[in-house]
Amino acid sequence: MNPVLSARNLTKRFSGVVALKDVSFDLHEGEIHALCGENGAGKSTLIKLLSGLHAHGSYEGALLVGEKMARFRGIADAERAGLAVIYQELALVEEMTVAENIFLGREPRRFGLVDWERMHREAQALLRKFQIELSPDAPVSRLGVGEKQLVEIVKAIGKSSRILILDEPTAALAEHETQILLNILRDLRGRGIACIYISHRLDEVFAIADRITVLRDGETVFTAMATQTNKSELIRHMVGREITELFPRALKMNATAEHQALYVENLSVADPQTGVLRLSNITFSIAPGEVLGIGGLMGAGRTELLMHLYGAWGTRVGGRVAIGRRLLPDSPPEMLRSGLALVSEDRRRQGLVLEQNVGFNLSLSSLARLSCCGLIQSAREHSLNDAFFRRLGVRATGLEATAGKLSGGNQQKIVLGKALMTEPKVILLDEPTRGIDVGAKAEIYELINNLTASGKAVVLVSSELPELIGMSDRILMLHEGRIAGEFERGATQEQLLAAAMGGEIEDATPAPPSQPAVQAMPRMRREPYIVSPQFFLPIL
Amino acid sequence: MNSKFSLRDLSLLFALLAIAAFFTFAVPGYGFVTPRNLTQLVVEVSITATLAVGMLLVILPGHIDLSAGSGVGLLGGLATVLVGGTGWLTKALTDFHGWIAVSFGANVAAYFPPPPWPDPVAMLVCLVVAMVFWGLMGMLVVRERIQAFIVTLGGMLIFKGLFWRVIESHTIPVVGPTLGKSWPLALGGQSFDVPQDWLHRLTTEYLDATTGLLLAAVISLLMLLGAVRGWARRRKHNIAGDDGELTFVKWLIVSQLLFLFVLVANQYQGVPMPAVICGVVAFAVHTLTRHTRFGRYLYAIGGNEEAALISGIAVKKIVVRAFVLMGIIVAITGFMQTAYAGYTTTDVGNLMELDAVAACVIGGVSLKGGRGTVLGVFFGALIMATLAKGMSLLGTEPEYKYMTRGAVLILAVWMDSRLSERKA
Repeated sequence: MNPVLSARNLTKRFSGVVALKDVSFDLHEGEIHALCGENGAGKSTLIKLLSGLHAHGSYEGALLVGEKMARFRGIADAERAGLAVIYQELALVEEMTVAENIFLGREPRRFGLVDWERMHREAQALLRKFQIELSPDAPVSRLGVGEKQLVEIVKAIGKSSRILILDEPTAALAEHETQILLNILRDLRGRGIACIYISHRLDEVFAIADRITVLRDGETVFTAMATQTNKSELIRHMVGREITELFPRALKMNATAEHQALYVENLSVADPQTGVLRLSNITFSIAPGEVLGIGGLMGAGRTELLMHLYGAWGTRVGGRVAIGRRLLPDSPPEMLRSGLALVSEDRRRQGLVLEQNVGFNLSLSSLARLSCCGLIQSAREHSLNDAFFRRLGVRATGLEATAGKLSGGNQQKIVLGKALMTEPKVILLDEPTRGIDVGAKAEIYELINNLTASGKAVVLVSSELPELIGMSDRILMLHEGRIAGEFERGATQEQLLAAAMGGEIEDATPAPPSQPAVQAMPRMRREPYIVSPQFFLPIL
Repeated sequence: MNSKFSLRDLSLLFALLAIAAFFTFAVPGYGFVTPRNLTQLVVEVSITATLAVGMLLVILPGHIDLSAGSGVGLLGGLATVLVGGTGWLTKALTDFHGWIAVSFGANVAAYFPPPPWPDPVAMLVCLVVAMVFWGLMGMLVVRERIQAFIVTLGGMLIFKGLFWRVIESHTIPVVGPTLGKSWPLALGGQSFDVPQDWLHRLTTEYLDATTGLLLAAVISLLMLLGAVRGWARRRKHNIAGDDGELTFVKWLIVSQLLFLFVLVANQYQGVPMPAVICGVVAFAVHTLTRHTRFGRYLYAIGGNEEAALISGIAVKKIVVRAFVLMGIIVAITGFMQTAYAGYTTTDVGNLMELDAVAACVIGGVSLKGGRGTVLGVFFGALIMATLAKGMSLLGTEPEYKYMTRGAVLILAVWMDSRLSERKA
């Protein structure tokens, strides 16, 4: 049988960094082929390549649809060839109805006007075909996430796509919605539609996939029929990364400290926009001088946990948080005053004022300490900035250099410096080494060691298991907003990943039901954070 | 954060010189450069610049105030009515005074006298009213997350209506019963007369020649002191910036310009009061934006609001404060504009908000926030006011005045984007 889609020796580089290395992959008609791998294994890059988002010519290797060489210059080309990608972030127009969305961009027309009747009729027929009980006239904004996902699929089928690519389709779905989705996929398989299915949930993968391919560090390391492999084998292949880098973590010094630097008890937090519970019953504490690693897959709630601790996100449904003996207030300025600092994951969006210079950014959080009656004492500010600039080893022309023009590693050092200048007791680091070079990484590890040596507590969130194992004294793994396992030093990557995927390797119990919606929501304590409002005066 | 002359600053200066030169030769009999006309120009520039500098405070964190023009009319009108003791509002306040007297006795009522009020009291009340209004608008912007464009557009209409209600759509002269009166004040054995008609005197008062020169001398000395301190600090900490010579030359040029200004003004009646007020406001806002936490936070919020929030800045509080300050500046501008017109009438302050925004934009302020300086805004105001004044002297029809100012605004922004492109 000929594959409907095959990738031959794909290699994709991003400014020197290899994201995909010699990847070969094929998909047969009427097959569901699951793609597994850790965060950053190259799944997203592969999808973007298949769907034309990375245009032909920006990568090496060949892509074949049927027998023909595919040279996609954009998504439109891929769609014409019969490929449809259904992303995690849904691409529906909320204000329109189901039918309008299904026919978006190819509305049936009569005398140049939209033929509403025919649109309605055909949408109805498509929905019936898959036994989806939705009215074509229902506005999409009223649908649940699962229903929207179904509309997306119908939209793709409506475009007569022969190949569906689903990126974590069940991440936001409840159990019964997942079942409906899986049933529809099986139905589609029966009609000869091929499907690439990406999921972190191994139970689901085994429930639906015909074949499974594991990606690791941009390479295909394993492909097998689903019936001929099992979970533990998959996990073993997924974590095969070596701990090659040097992690200079000194052993924890304060193992028996009685007083805790940060104490979190039964913390449950809901998304302020949707009211869905994103973190539940999180309990942990961290002693001065300790590094607590927090791991988990994308969407497990790691960033949400840090942002909530920092007072910048989420509606607290229950539980409490304390620094020392003090219960914590809940806004970033007060958090900083209480001795908690955050280095956020996205330094360009949340860390730096890019158009301002290095000095401006370094002292931004510490100005209260550096000013007298509101007036900034520029001499003191300058000498403190200078001290941090040197201590962090920022490579820039000076404090006057524009922050936006520095390299990722140097930008990260400035964001770290800004947090450290506030003299915190507890530092929350969210992916502090993402996207920076090896040298800068080593310097940041060194910095973490120095911090803990001076009695500060560090919470380290990381997607890289070797980094987590190498740098942490203790590790918590999150899975769907819950603590799925707590590990002392010496845990293996397999153990951590198994916990992150929601279960023991040997244990075949299904994952806990995901994300129950909170019915009675308390009044929102904090509105969601929206990026600065823009007014519509573009020319003035 | 040193001032470095860029291509853009120079082009602004050249544009201003070109405009001034054009009017110098175009207006018959060199009417543009007479001391009298220049003094009037100074008053007009001062009024525009004061409002524009306030606008900077709101634009820096990425917002805008479209209600400023209506506010100028409203607050100037309110002050005029309270000082003059005329109209419907006076009657209402008199009734209120009577009701207090009946309900709580004359002693209490003495604290709520009916207008006319002394000028300082009336102006203070107007300032408080402005702070409340602008504070409310700021709250709507940050708490309810309504765009400032919409909130202040609503404010513009509401204030316009309020304004017309307060003056009952009439024309009321600024002079009230306090005209020419003064309070005797004994200080150290000497007695002074403190004039009571402050509102009126805002634009009729001039510093006498000696006082003007003295003031210029003091300011120039203080600037020298500041320049030397800055230079010494830069040298001590090895910060990049102007060296000693350039610092001195810059100071020399600026203080010479200052003295030239005073001397020219003295040719007529002296330095007009609005120039002093504008100077004080501009200096205050300059200090605020350059040397205080509040100012830093404005730049940070405008540059990257999310990063500002994560950096522990109380974004909402800062933005509301910026709006309250804007309210104060709008009120001050209102007093000056109304006094300059000599009366309050329905079209006082019309479109002034757009002049202020235009001055900001010409002066290099980014409407997205996070970029802009007081000096730039001042230049922008100078260009806008010079254009307006020059065209008045030429007897240009209002139709063409509007079109010219619009074209200049677009041209300035277009040049700005081209120049910054080339730099990047």
